[in-house]
Amino acid sequence: MHDWKNMLLAVDDTPTSRKAVQYTADIVANLQGVRICLLHIYPEPPPDYYRQGRTLDQYRQENDARAERIFREATGLLAGRGVPAEAIRTRSRLAEQQTISQTIMAVQAEEKAGTVVVGKRGVSKAEEFLFGSISSALIHQSRDFTVWVVG
Amino acid sequence: MSGYESADILPTGISTALRRHRVRRSLRRPSRVFTDTTDFTAIDYGDIILVDGRYFLVTGYTREGRFGVDEQIKPWVPRVEDLASGEKRILKLVFHETFDITLGSFTIPCYRNPEKEARILELVRDHPHFMQGEAVLDEAGNLVRILEIIGGSRLDKYIHRSNLPHREYFFRELPAILRQFLDCVAAIDFLHRHGFRHGDIRRDHILVERGSGLFRWIDFDYDFYMPERPFALDIYELGNLLMYLTARGNYHPREILNDPNLGEETLQRLEPGDYALLSRNRVVNLQKLFPYIPTELNNIFLHFSTATTVFYDTAAEFLDDLAGAVDRLDSMVG
Repeated sequence: MHDWKNMLLAVDDTPTSRKAVQYTADIVANLQGVRICLLHIYPEPPPDYYRQGRTLDQYRQENDARAERIFREATGLLAGRGVPAEAIRTRSRLAEQQTISQTIMAVQAEEKAGTVVVGKRGVSKAEEFLFGSISSALIHQSRDFTVWVVG
Repeated sequence: MSGYESADILPTGISTALRRHRVRRSLRRPSRVFTDTTDFTAIDYGDIILVDGRYFLVTGYTREGRFGVDEQIKPWVPRVEDLASGEKRILKLVFHETFDITLGSFTIPCYRNPEKEARILELVRDHPHFMQGEAVLDEAGNLVRILEIIGGSRLDKYIHRSNLPHREYFFRELPAILRQFLDCVAAIDFLHRHGFRHGDIRRDHILVERGSGLFRWIDFDYDFYMPERPFALDIYELGNLLMYLTARGNYHPREILNDPNLGEETLQRLEPGDYALLSRNRVVNLQKLFPYIPTELNNIFLHFSTATTVFYDTAAEFLDDLAGAVDRLDSMVG
């Protein structure tokens, strides 16, 4: 089991993600030795993306810029609750030939993160079947790390 | 940009073959030779598509309809004849259609993706359960797929050919049908393991080949955008197809009431959890309609019900369960 204080916090621009950041900040703000990697994963572009004359580089740039905005907000929330700036890192990545949950787990393995935090969207059963649930996938497939699902 | 030339450019042998072809008899205008298929609507019956150094005479068009809707001509999918060899083929020209499909209350963006179909054709070369063909570029760089024609019938028509009562169909015909279908599911698993979706699994997208009796998938150019569950729609449609084969139709309250062997009493026995997750008035707990369906097979259907707590994540899981159910069915038949 990896060190639980080495945390991976998956973020996007949804209210549930914001909640997850706030919750994490409230729990860890005054603890020693906590390291938080803010992670933003984005999916591959839809099949017709390239037909509109755009390139993968453009797609990455657009999404990395969006990730920067998300990171700024999340870092502000964490810092505002007392998490030191030097304890926070950021990573943005394209889920290349993988699902978002698979990519989160790949980064967890690289980072040797002991805790992965995600927001819970609260999807219906039908929605979960068709579109998936990142939190469910993480819970079912987690090994050697703890998953916090913040609803 | 016209994209075509006059038939004067044809080599002598091809020109002779064209002149003698039956298509020319009903044509009052000269054939045109298209080397650029970008504007496929300009290409007509009796014209020639020149790709890969081969002269394909357009002899007709394929048709397709959603169930219950009149079949419509697909102008981007002409039936052709190679004027040098006389071989009949189907060409698929590039048509970048984008549309949404609705499943229950959800909308899923779908695309025609010629590149994907070309890559699958390459992957499944000589695979017995897929249509065969090759992709070449026309002069404008459009990906033209040259497909071999499968002689045979659509699976949905094939299972209705004997018109036996359901019970007899179930025990006499279904075991062999499901053995073949098992191979088709394995073929989809093969695609998924290589990162491809079929994209348009339907009961008329398996053809039963005349002679060999092989079940073969056709039409792989649909694609959809579901990044977290990339294969869910294929798996969902495999489930639908399996239920259709088993019941020899889809069962909603209307069909149950119209069936003299089922009727009101059967309908009253159904509970909310017996219906489909994504199509709320279709029955998936088919064992309540046909009690001789073995539990192993019915349990597969229940994965697609509103009551399910477990989904199939992969076609391989579906395949494993189906293999067990088919074994069970075989043992019941003896």
